[in-house]
Amino acid sequence: MGFFYEKKNDQLKPTTPSKSQTKEPIEKQILKTNLQDNLKTIKDTLGESTDIVIREILIGNKGTVKAGIIYTDGLSDAPSLQNFIMETLMLDIKDTEVESEITPNPELMNTLKDFAMTVGEIKNVTLFEDLFTALLSGDVVLLLDGFSEGFMIGNKRWAERGVTESTTQTVIRGPREAFSENIRINTALIRRKIKDPNLWMESRMIGKLTKTNIAVMYIKGIANDDIVEELRMRLDRIDIDGILESGNIEELIQDARISTFPTVYNTERPDVVASALLEGRIAIIVDGTPFVLTLPALFVQFFQSSEDYYQRAEFTSLVRFLRFFSFAIALLAPALFIAATTFHHEMIPTALLINLAAQREGVPFPAFIEALIMEITFEILREAGLRMPRAIGSAMSIVGAFVIGTAAVEAGLISAAMVIVVSITAIASFVSPTYDMAFTARILRFIFMGLAASFGLFGITVGLIALILHLCSIRSFGVPYMYPIAPFNLTDQKDTFVRLPKWKMFTRPRLISQQNINSQQPPDVAKPEPEKKNE
Amino acid sequence: MKRGIFILLILSIILTGCWNRRELNELAITLALGIDKSEDEYLISAQVVVPGEVSLTGGKVGSPVTLVQARGGTVYEAIRKMTKSSPRKIYPGHLRMLVLGESVAEEGIGDPLDLISRDWEFRSDFYVVVAKEDTAEHILNIQTPLENIPANKMFNTLKVSEENWSATSGVTIDELIVDLRSEGKEAVLTGILATGKQEGGSSKQSLETILSNINIQYDDLAVFKDDKLVGWLTENESRAYNGIINEVKSTVAAISCPNEGKANIEVLDFKSKLKGNVKNGNPEVDINVKIVGNIGAIECPIDISKPESIEALEKIYEKEVEETINNSITSVQEKYEADIFGFGDAIYRSNPKEWESLKNQWNQHFTELPVTIKVDVKLRKTGTVNNSITEPRKE
Repeated sequence: MGFFYEKKNDQLKPTTPSKSQTKEPIEKQILKTNLQDNLKTIKDTLGESTDIVIREILIGNKGTVKAGIIYTDGLSDAPSLQNFIMETLMLDIKDTEVESEITPNPELMNTLKDFAMTVGEIKNVTLFEDLFTALLSGDVVLLLDGFSEGFMIGNKRWAERGVTESTTQTVIRGPREAFSENIRINTALIRRKIKDPNLWMESRMIGKLTKTNIAVMYIKGIANDDIVEELRMRLDRIDIDGILESGNIEELIQDARISTFPTVYNTERPDVVASALLEGRIAIIVDGTPFVLTLPALFVQFFQSSEDYYQRAEFTSLVRFLRFFSFAIALLAPALFIAATTFHHEMIPTALLINLAAQREGVPFPAFIEALIMEITFEILREAGLRMPRAIGSAMSIVGAFVIGTAAVEAGLISAAMVIVVSITAIASFVSPTYDMAFTARILRFIFMGLAASFGLFGITVGLIALILHLCSIRSFGVPYMYPIAPFNLTDQKDTFVRLPKWKMFTRPRLISQQNINSQQPPDVAKPEPEKKNE
Repeated sequence: MKRGIFILLILSIILTGCWNRRELNELAITLALGIDKSEDEYLISAQVVVPGEVSLTGGKVGSPVTLVQARGGTVYEAIRKMTKSSPRKIYPGHLRMLVLGESVAEEGIGDPLDLISRDWEFRSDFYVVVAKEDTAEHILNIQTPLENIPANKMFNTLKVSEENWSATSGVTIDELIVDLRSEGKEAVLTGILATGKQEGGSSKQSLETILSNINIQYDDLAVFKDDKLVGWLTENESRAYNGIINEVKSTVAAISCPNEGKANIEVLDFKSKLKGNVKNGNPEVDINVKIVGNIGAIECPIDISKPESIEALEKIYEKEVEETINNSITSVQEKYEADIFGFGDAIYRSNPKEWESLKNQWNQHFTELPVTIKVDVKLRKTGTVNNSITEPRKE
């Protein structure tokens, strides 16, 4: 990818100075008055790219005004271009009084804008920089001869995926829709959920070459202004040639730069973003990707699923416990197994010890190497499963089952117990509702295995202490990552390890939304209770 | 500086050589250890599990355990010497049984037990038993039915019989050491012996018949004075002993009916309290026993639908318990002069100051110690039938 940009950069820089007399790059220049000059500049700058369509027309009374319509084929809506721009300018206008006014006079621009253009979005453009941005974003540019100014007419439309079902965060109960690649569709999906005037959106363009549209959404009055300000600052600081996915933004703005733990949350579900906004979080929508970022992101948030709030509270609490437990398994199970079987034999019940010893008879590798072989094999299978063409999938899973399975045991390479430990670890890592946290467990698991093989439980304990210290030291946009566990907040425990019923959750997370804390009426009012009859 | 610490950390992981790491297939998992003494040497026998034979998939051809033996001047020496014949180092972390040969028990168990209490690899919750009129080596050399690992059979049998019959006493190593160290209580261990034919027990063929040729079973309690075996209790004395030290969980007692025949009491709850006292410099002990039981079986004509008969049975049982306890105490006082009941401890607890002057001649005091026994029996239930099923015919 870097190669691609470099090439484009080279192309842009050396070609322009020879054509233009000034030292300034072409983008910074102001439009010229001569239409032909402008069109030539555009052609030269774009290297006569074949998807740029330049149409020269004559408008006005007996064609007194020369005009140029420029658009990018494939990004602009051809029918509406013909119906509302070309047809209007070339045909419709002739039957009206306006036509007589279409002469090369200074008021021509305003006349056209006010009377002739039957489109919604229209803006004046004077800089080549703006012109190119608009043109390459799919807008139609209208230039008139004799004016150092032009119109950019909003007419974007390109082939794209519609709103489809979420594939990364599936739920049983809850909305199915997921974000798509178009930023407008995405913001619209959020607006449809929160119809409050306080839902504010700020737009900016990041990426010197990609000029990617980024929208920052938050609810004014709920979101913490300091965090919003901090985010603006961090976004302004970004100086990069390209943003292709929200992951690029995430890496550039996150707090903990060297950490396996994610400090920015991403989701492709509009309802998750909406609930995050309601809690006072801020959403960053990046054009071209269905993954929307929300922040600040806390540790416990990665164990919450949107479905948690649609299912019954009791059930959710149970599932939450299961998720934390699974995370612990995914992180520690192989390490604990290695520690117990190579250092702390006295910890294993006698019958189990004899059983495990029987399985290990004839296994040539130490437990650590055994576990490492299995874990790495599994990682290879998982990675291969993600990247390979779908059609080979079933063949792959058969081979995979052989490699991590009874065949390996029968071959005498691996003990059966290790297969079980590695399998349960693998399954447990998929319980996590977010992919990012599963990643973390995957990476750290190997470190813990190494510690267990070198120092036994002592190593695991030291590792855990280091892990907890690290977790407590990182922050996400000023909010302690482990909040509300450390620093402890009793009120916010309502949605940490357990989830209380909705009528008990009447405040927003305290450290995230520092203003407008109450999300509903006090509990005695909110609790749904049948009215007592006075008898 | 930072880099230095980092390198140190990496080295500490790479170069430690995984201190103390032992894979499971490098361990000789020892479940039972036997100590015998002949002449001046200890003979240590370790019953080691053969994992391949115990596993569910393979094995079942050879013996599930093997006996590793070595002789040495001290126990530790002998255990280390076992590596001469065993490819794996003895791992006693899962020891379940320690069998002391009668010869060792008579000479004194304090010295050989020192290693076992000192070494960190030994756990502290395995049972210690004495081979009655036998060597530990022989006991550990017998195959057992039901539990294919003999050490497990010994462990579980002792646990079950202690809970349900109460003539045995499962003494773990830590309890034994407390008793050996205590000034006011002597140690007691359960005896173990081989029954049936005495030969061929180590072969699996001995298990091929329904009634095994040779079997291991527990017998009555061995009395120690200081750390030396001085004699054996009878079954009734053993039960009385367990009653006095409040170790009865459940048992069955056969008592005589008011007129003729027998009745059985199933003891559900047995509580005894020892209370020491010193009067005018003379120690004395009160034993207060409370028993709750059911009528387990009636083998005599008695109408238990009447409350009076229940009361009569309670009275009889109370008397019998009192007599058994009394006889046992007298017998121990006369025969062994060893305070296995912990009367000394009871007196120390109630009168620590007087104990200081008594403890030097405690054995003397113990033989003359007056003991008051109070028994209270409550019979609660009579089972699913009322009177004996043979009763109508007897009338």
